[in-house]
Amino acid sequence: MSEERKHRLPSDDRDWKPAKLSVTDKLGLTKFKPDAESHLSIKDKEICHETCRRKYCTHTCPAQVYRWEEEEESISIAYEGCLECGTCRSGGCPYDNIEMSYPRGGFGVQYRFG
Amino acid sequence: MSDLANIPITSGRFDAIIVGGGPAGLSAACTLADGGARVAVIERGDWPGSKNMMGGLVFSQPTAQVTPEFWKKAPLERHITRREMWLTTGESVAKAAYESTDFGAEPYNSFSVFRSRFDKWLAGEARAKGALIITETLVEDLLMEGDRVVGVRTGRPDGDLDADVVILCEGVNPFLAEKAGLSKGVKPESLALAVKEVLALPREKLEDRFNLEEGNGAAYEVIGEITGGIPGTGFIYTNRDTVSIGVGVILKDMVDQTHEAYALLERFKAQPQVQRLIHGASPREYAAHLIPEGGYRGMPRLHGNGVLVAGDAAGMVNAVFTEGANLALLSGRMAGETVLRARACGSFEAITLDYYRQQLEKSIVMKDLKTFQNVTPFLSSHPHFFTMYPELASAAVKELLSVDSLSKADKMHLVIKLVRSQMPARKLMRDLYDAWRTFS
Ligand SMILES: Cc1cc2nc3c(=O)[nH]c(=O)nc-3n(C[C@H](O)[C@H](O)[C@H](O)COP(=O)(O)OP(=O)(O)OC[C@H]3O[C@@H](n4cnc5c(N)ncnc54)[C@H](O)[C@@H]3O)c2cc1C
Ligand code: SF4
Ligand code: SF4
Repeated sequence: MSEERKHRLPSDDRDWKPAKLSVTDKLGLTKFKPDAESHLSIKDKEICHETCRRKYCTHTCPAQVYRWEEEEESISIAYEGCLECGTCRSGGCPYDNIEMSYPRGGFGVQYRFG
Repeated sequence: MSDLANIPITSGRFDAIIVGGGPAGLSAACTLADGGARVAVIERGDWPGSKNMMGGLVFSQPTAQVTPEFWKKAPLERHITRREMWLTTGESVAKAAYESTDFGAEPYNSFSVFRSRFDKWLAGEARAKGALIITETLVEDLLMEGDRVVGVRTGRPDGDLDADVVILCEGVNPFLAEKAGLSKGVKPESLALAVKEVLALPREKLEDRFNLEEGNGAAYEVIGEITGGIPGTGFIYTNRDTVSIGVGVILKDMVDQTHEAYALLERFKAQPQVQRLIHGASPREYAAHLIPEGGYRGMPRLHGNGVLVAGDAAGMVNAVFTEGANLALLSGRMAGETVLRARACGSFEAITLDYYRQQLEKSIVMKDLKTFQNVTPFLSSHPHFFTMYPELASAAVKELLSVDSLSKADKMHLVIKLVRSQMPARKLMRDLYDAWRTFS
């Protein structure tokens, strides 16, 4: 941080820097009650493997639930951290290749603030 | 919160079943219970609000129509006395502010709220009026007889419930409205993905930094260089001792440009002007939600035989002002009134329920949605509104405010030259014309 900028900050926190939060850090703040079973699935693994070059879901999901696993050559799904937004069913996967439903009643994300 | 323990859920028939305990559903429930109807709200979360998120401001006037003088009892954060609009280039910000002492006294204008607390409270109001609130229960399907909705299937073992009418208040992902053939699904060009963090900041520090009298609140909307040039907005709202900060972007543009919504929020938080407000604050919660911004054109069919759709499920959001909770409250109330009327006639056919659409057409809900019906497509096709115009505004204001040897007249000249150099006159005229047609 430049000296000039530092000077303009209130004196109480001059050396504070905004923590760059990773998605994992962020999800650690939010409360979840995960079900034993996933409410998310890939419809056709071939499409991920053969057709979809950019693996859109890995960046459109705000909770980074989807990850491309190089070794298995498939998408893995960390459904426990799903924020239930619906992005992956409404264009977040342009190939419409994700089956998303809501978790069973009482499971999933539980916002304390919201 | 759960009423489940006390009731045999299959005990008879309901006049109306409402899917979803958000503002739309709870407002419908209040109206129906007030009118003496047997009504149940089914909510998948552990409590109404546990799945819900918004910026979020609740506006007094529509809310008071559902529960008068709610500010005396509802869990509110701060009444908003100042609103600001920021046009930012990343380095600089041009600001427009509005402040009113009126906003700080009854009946107030708006309040910052947390949905997890506000919706829970509103559910309590509905229950006090006689509505049954069934939580921890997912409605998985609609029960049909021919083309008529006659009840719901829930995820509970004994979970089929019959009703004369089902009101779908399921929010932005209209699974059931799609199943009922009312909605064709929502397209990524009319959805915004919003991510939000709640950051804790000691009350005194917060009031100091936002320049607020005790208890007053501020709400900032930010457009410009926060979303990497794609259409989107940022917001910062003050709560009691936390700040809600978030970013929303049109889903289609985000997909196309390989942007990550959470990264955009980090980028927004790191802007110098934003940093000044939030530094030292510690994060408490991360949330994400979609906003239906298709407006009037993106709306599904609003009713069928034995079924009505209200709130976000019907796309009732004013994208320009990010107002949705108020439209949800109003549409829920009108859906409730329609059902009371249908009950009096003894008919729940689509033709009777059409009263709902007629009432909506006459109300501010449809009027507002119509006014702004072209805004989302307009902004998507004019992405430079989010980059070039904030830059020009900022450069222009900077020029006017820098004191040097130039006269003000010369400065005005310079500003005009600057605008012209960045933007050929014809293009500028074209944009202004498009904007005028869109907003008028
Ligand atoms: C970031 C952001 C900022 C916003 N800011 C504002 C603002 O400042 N002011 C404003 O007025 N509006 C704002 N909005 C819009 C506002 O939040 C919505 O328009 C409003 O919440 C819609 O209310 P609703 O009742 O229709 O839906 P929701 O509030 O989404 O409620 C739907 C409910 O249905 C439940 N549900 C869904 N499906 C089922 C099922 N199958 N079975 C059982 N339960 C189910 C859900 O759990 C949820 O409780 C904002 C939205 C976002 C995302
Ligand atoms: S975006 Fe869709 S098709 Fe592509 S990898 Fe993800 S799930 Fe597969
Ligand atoms: S619903 Fe939202 S948070 Fe959950 S997996 Fe899909 S995109 Fe990710």
